[in-house]
Amino acid sequence: MKILLVEDDLDLGNGIRVALRDEDMEVVWVRRIEEATRALQSGTCDLVLLDLGLPDGDGLGLLMQMRRERHKTPVLILSARDALDDRLNGLDSGADDYLVKPFVLAELLSRVRALVRRSYGFDDGTVEVRGLTLHEPTRRVRVRSAPVALSRSEFELLSLLMRRVDRVITRRVLEEQLVPGGMVNESNVLEVHISNLRRKIGDGYIRTVRGVGYVIDQAEQPLTARP
Amino acid sequence: MSAAVAAREPRWKRWTRPTLVRRLLLGQVATLALLWSVLVGLFLVEAFNQDLYGATDAYDAVLSVAENLADRPTLQHASLQALDVALREAYGDKNEPAMAPSVLVWQAGRLVYKSDGVPDTIRNSRLDTLERLFVEGRYWRASTRQSPLSDTRVALVTPSDRKQLIVTFNSRGYYLMPLIISIPFLLLPAWLSIRLALRPWREVSTEIAARGPKDLTPLGFEARHAELRPLVESVNALMQRLSESAARERNFIADAAHELRTPIAAIRINVEALQAQHRLTEHQGELLSGVLRSIDRATRLVGQLLRLMRSSADMDVGPNEKLALDELLQDRLATLSGLAQARGVELELVTTERDLRVLGAREGLTSMVDNLVENATKYSPPAGVVTVRLAREADQAVLTVSDQGPGIDAALRERVFDRFFRTPDQLQTGSGLGLAIVKSVVEKHGGQIALGVAEGGGSGLQVTVRLPLAQG
Repeated sequence: MKILLVEDDLDLGNGIRVALRDEDMEVVWVRRIEEATRALQSGTCDLVLLDLGLPDGDGLGLLMQMRRERHKTPVLILSARDALDDRLNGLDSGADDYLVKPFVLAELLSRVRALVRRSYGFDDGTVEVRGLTLHEPTRRVRVRSAPVALSRSEFELLSLLMRRVDRVITRRVLEEQLVPGGMVNESNVLEVHISNLRRKIGDGYIRTVRGVGYVIDQAEQPLTARP
Repeated sequence: MSAAVAAREPRWKRWTRPTLVRRLLLGQVATLALLWSVLVGLFLVEAFNQDLYGATDAYDAVLSVAENLADRPTLQHASLQALDVALREAYGDKNEPAMAPSVLVWQAGRLVYKSDGVPDTIRNSRLDTLERLFVEGRYWRASTRQSPLSDTRVALVTPSDRKQLIVTFNSRGYYLMPLIISIPFLLLPAWLSIRLALRPWREVSTEIAARGPKDLTPLGFEARHAELRPLVESVNALMQRLSESAARERNFIADAAHELRTPIAAIRINVEALQAQHRLTEHQGELLSGVLRSIDRATRLVGQLLRLMRSSADMDVGPNEKLALDELLQDRLATLSGLAQARGVELELVTTERDLRVLGAREGLTSMVDNLVENATKYSPPAGVVTVRLAREADQAVLTVSDQGPGIDAALRERVFDRFFRTPDQLQTGSGLGLAIVKSVVEKHGGQIALGVAEGGGSGLQVTVRLPLAQG
């Protein structure tokens, strides 16, 4: 896994480089937009970690240029700015994710892996969590290599949860997925679907955050979630 | 505040407090009274000195009668008496006969005629001079003239004491009456006109008094009057300087906080990379955990500072967006559940109603929810549950966040809202800014916040926030 790190702060850049290298990732570390542009042109990388405030310009400029040139490499923004507008601005400019400094190493690793997985999805489309695999193009789902038959809605829900592993997907988003634009008021359509899904793929994958939404955790959870 | 003070004051005291209206009114009336007094004084002096004693014709008439009839004393006396009566009528006051001029006539040093009630010992020491004489216990004003043809002398005499002054005042009432009558009539129009003229002034002061302590927007009052314009302009300039300096200060703090994040991130990633080494001894691991805890604390402090700055920047704009609280809660809890999960705490959201909308500022409400939930998570025991409830009561949205932690002593519940206050037996790291931020957000939205004990028999804290629902 090859990662292009664009970060001007010496200690932070070096820290990230060392930490990612320890996880067996190959890191190319540059400190200027100019160098980053050159690195992007000269070779392929799986992911760009992008700081926004760089000495020779704004990281967002680089990002927009990349997207204009149809560079599909996923970009994870590392920024000290955490206001909603800053995040939205970053995502609107074409970033795939946004991480606010200071971040926990585990979270950085998790997001890096998720993004790289997704980028592999362009040719492969397989997402895998603890023996549960989902193949997007063929819409096939397997639990420990045993195929599972899912309805269309169930597949959409699972795909949504697996693509954004470790993050809670709110009920509102999931309901929107089930009944686009419609109101799912006063009904338990979502619960029914999730419960069917659990029955088919087995317990222990989908964790409920009551009243909030559902999440699939990358790592096995010590706590057994209440249904 | 000032209204409350005024209400406590006794009523009479309010009347003794100086006001501009009263000052102007007093000034006007005093000037008017002074003017009138001067005029009346002039009239009186003139009445005293000129009317009678400048009356050369009167002297001439008396002298010629006395001279022409000198050889016929009876006729002379009768004629003089008739002249005396005429003089009294012409110069005196019918109502106050005592104040009328009296006539004394001497011929060859002998008194030939004297009005009634005048002492016959009155003598001027010099001719043609108005003198004030003291005769028989009274003051008199008298002037004597001598005929150029004979030794006939005529004196015109009027009483001159305090009583006479009062009587003169009374008798010349027509000078004073307009003043006395007009003063009350002048007061009302004067007061009205002053009130009217000062209305723009009152409008300005009402507007200034009505603003909140943190409202730094320019005055809406449009000053068209030359006297008010400098005032309004300087108030506006002051407001602008204040808000600029507040914004500068906010930006400075925000910039400093942002700048701090990169080095904190660097410390963090380096420590974590170090922690990942397998060669560490237990002791070294422990020390590194201490470093990480401090980093967490610094991180949170920086985050809180930014939220505080953002929510006070929001304050300038105010709640301006109709936000569905249930959606906001779902989004925030989805984000915060990672932290809760890492601590082994379960989050749950119970909403009884959908689409509860409040007029709010998104950043402010977000930091309010984040702070409340982060706090509850932090103080929860392992495997504890943090419950967030959203319900509707009349025209209010009621948000409660309860945990199963140690709670807060009733005695300390007010103080936890102070900035940088932390409960004394604190084990958790924290900035002491969280609840201060929450409170400022709640107040900005016109809501209330209360701390209590969570239901379910434990000691857990329950925070209840009430926000008015958006209209329509």
